[in-house]
Amino acid sequence: MWKKEDVKSQGLPENAPGNVVGSPATGGTPVRETSTGLPVSVSSKGSASISQGIRIKGEVTGSEDLFVDGHVEGKVNLSNGSLTVGPNGEVKADIFAREVIVRGRVDGRIVGREKIQLWSTGNVAGDLQTERLMIEDGAVLRGRVEIETGKPHVEARGAAAGTSKGGSVAASSPVSSGSAAN
Amino acid sequence: MSFLNKLGIGIAAGAGSSREVPKTMGSSGRPRPNGPAPVAAVGATRAPEPRESNRVSNGLKEFLWNLDGLGRGTLLDLGPAWQTTLSFFIERGFRVSSEDILRAWKEFLVEEEGKLREATGRAAQHTFDVSPAARAARFLEANLQYPNSSFDAVLLWDLLDYLEPLVAKQIVVNLTELLRPGGVVFAMFHSKKPEGFQRYRVADSTTLQVISSPVLCPAQRVYQNREIQDLFSRYRTVKSFVGRDQLRESLFIK
Repeated sequence: MWKKEDVKSQGLPENAPGNVVGSPATGGTPVRETSTGLPVSVSSKGSASISQGIRIKGEVTGSEDLFVDGHVEGKVNLSNGSLTVGPNGEVKADIFAREVIVRGRVDGRIVGREKIQLWSTGNVAGDLQTERLMIEDGAVLRGRVEIETGKPHVEARGAAAGTSKGGSVAASSPVSSGSAAN
Repeated sequence: MSFLNKLGIGIAAGAGSSREVPKTMGSSGRPRPNGPAPVAAVGATRAPEPRESNRVSNGLKEFLWNLDGLGRGTLLDLGPAWQTTLSFFIERGFRVSSEDILRAWKEFLVEEEGKLREATGRAAQHTFDVSPAARAARFLEANLQYPNSSFDAVLLWDLLDYLEPLVAKQIVVNLTELLRPGGVVFAMFHSKKPEGFQRYRVADSTTLQVISSPVLCPAQRVYQNREIQDLFSRYRTVKSFVGRDQLRESLFIK
């Protein structure tokens, strides 16, 4: 059902700098452009991807990372995996995963056990439940935020990083890099 | 005037308040390293980068004072989902709900324009009520949908200035239902018609960051004191502060 892409089978070096698109530094699925210009998901775990133009209706379950740049409707449950909704991705589903990165559109509740990241192109209509939340300027959120741990971690990012106050706000990525925090 | 004309996308002027901090930002909102802009990025069609400034906010200070000791309160933020604002209130134990009403209003107007075009192309029996009251009702059917008495506090910002008066009025009515008794609303009003468009986020307990942004919706009207009191007639006005930037900050307690 999913299109599996293995970086080694594409003959691309694992950590070659320069042509990483979007550069999510952690979790999810970093996307690299091939010589044909087509995005190919790459990760050491060889994560699965639902490419643009693919439409899935039903329940998606698994325990590894998943990159969605297509359309998913139903339910997504990645017990220990990370879900990245790409810029063209549209997910109408409740999402349960270890980590969720949203660069596209999600309509549904998101439970990201460890972390949820909303990128500037991300658009979420639904409640968020996580330990750590990161929102880039420009992201659109319509819903309730629940931070689960006793001590909340809402990471500063982008322009907001320099102005965040309080000890538990961790600017864990260099402001100038624009990359996702660990 | 068509809805799209009403949107009048343009570029905001400076915030006009003290301690202005121009910021070099990439198009995605990420800061760019110092130095000249890449040649490809320079051009007449490129939108000016957003500017931000800080303003001392006595209204925010009072708002927080009123919420002091609430414990695990619930907050409804009707502006954009800013990292700093969410972080600020979550760290103080609040459960925060976020809904960018102005963005929703803009999208709604675009949709309405499409529906209107569709309706005029159809047979006459399919009527499409374009009266402000009908439009307000349609907008609120899809927005601000929460159970009654869900919130202890609402950050209303200055959005009433940008909404059609009937929608603004109905939003205040709805907020009154959503607030618990004793709940607080923090609202802002421009004392004169704003030249640009700006959004706000909480920097600390006494400071707001004012971010000049591309115009989402043009200002609809400037509310006078009496009109503000009428809008919030079911509340008791606690305090009002007018800044040098002609921005009035008001607190209302249910």
